[in-house]
Amino acid sequence: MALNTKAIKRRIKSVSSTKKITKAMQMISAVKMRRAVQNVLAARSYANLGWEIVNDIAKKIDVRVHPLLKSRRVKHIGLILITSNRGLAGGFSSRLLHEVHRYVLSVRAEVDAEADIILSGKHGRNIFHKFGHEVVAEFNKVDLTTRIEEILPIAQMVMQDFVNGKYDRIVVAYTDYNSAINQTPRVKQILPLTNDDGLLGHIENEAPDQEKTLATNTGFGYLFEPDPKRVLNVLLPRLVETQIYQAVLESDASEHSARMMAMQNATDAAEGMIKELNYSFNKARQAAITQEISEIVGGAAALE
Amino acid sequence: MRLEIITPERIVLSDKIDRITLMTENGEISILPHHIPFVSNLRPGEARYEKEKHEASLAIAGGFVVVREDGSVVILADAVEHPEEIDLTRAEAARARAAKLMSEIRSKEDVDFTALQMKLEKELNRIRVGNKYRKI
Repeated sequence: MALNTKAIKRRIKSVSSTKKITKAMQMISAVKMRRAVQNVLAARSYANLGWEIVNDIAKKIDVRVHPLLKSRRVKHIGLILITSNRGLAGGFSSRLLHEVHRYVLSVRAEVDAEADIILSGKHGRNIFHKFGHEVVAEFNKVDLTTRIEEILPIAQMVMQDFVNGKYDRIVVAYTDYNSAINQTPRVKQILPLTNDDGLLGHIENEAPDQEKTLATNTGFGYLFEPDPKRVLNVLLPRLVETQIYQAVLESDASEHSARMMAMQNATDAAEGMIKELNYSFNKARQAAITQEISEIVGGAAALE
Repeated sequence: MRLEIITPERIVLSDKIDRITLMTENGEISILPHHIPFVSNLRPGEARYEKEKHEASLAIAGGFVVVREDGSVVILADAVEHPEEIDLTRAEAARARAAKLMSEIRSKEDVDFTALQMKLEKELNRIRVGNKYRKI
């Protein structure tokens, strides 16, 4: 019996030290989450409005004005996968990876296009280990992105690859932050900026004369100053960068929320376990005492 | 008309106004209600807007202005400051720093140089707008 209580005691000790760790991690994540959420909410209106405007403009002008607007038959897709550097965040990265896997399979089936994956965040490597999808580049990711400069290398690379024709479509896969307990994995197209499904012959189907009228500087289209090319050369890259930046911010907020939740669950589970173990410890102790007493009483009775 | 000024950090302004004057790449323009859809790049400069005969001013560090189909004006700015927020001594120090760096690398024409020039222009604009409203 003495052995039994000793073993239980040891387990209680180990569970409590685990609980201490998860509690600490929960607290750290909570702080990081608060900052990340603040960032994401502040940047959201800029990104959304910018995106709305760019889609609006893209619909009303000749897509030949700027290379970032042109859609072609999709053969190669560049997929930017934004995940975390570390694990212990519940289903955070595995859910996103499954979503990406589904997306890759669906484009392969529908438009016969291959996707190359560009990683940001170490956990994304599992997409190769688990599903065997091609990874072409990996960018370092900081734990808490706060400046747009940090994503410029990725943005510049994909824009260049898109203009050069290496990729016909750029999508970004990230986890959208809804609330502390609710995050959804998403795959979003960012290039080309024209809002179509990228199917063959879409451009040719559009009435050419309509395009012409819209391309002129008056009428129903937008008036550009000094001229469409100069404005779009600055505007479009900037808004693409903002989109990627926003995706990273969303992902950061989601990651830290997911980790906080996971750690909170772990802490709660540890607490339950300790309670349970304490109960069995007390029972074992009580049983040992009872047995001892009955042994003494039995021994005394045998002497009489 | 509706005016919205947004930076990546915050929504600076969302209000109904009567007129706005901005510094675009081509020079200063004023936008009145019922303007046609319009897009232009902004240079660092002062934005003055009028609402019910009151004029207010902001220092804008560059960005874009878009007049949308419904006539509302959207300014996607890199950074915006109210004149009273500008710390003139800090702006002056930043300008001096940028000017010094620029004179050091004047010899080679590269990206750094244009970036610095942008920075210098931004700081000059902050000082100008800050000074203007300090006196009143």
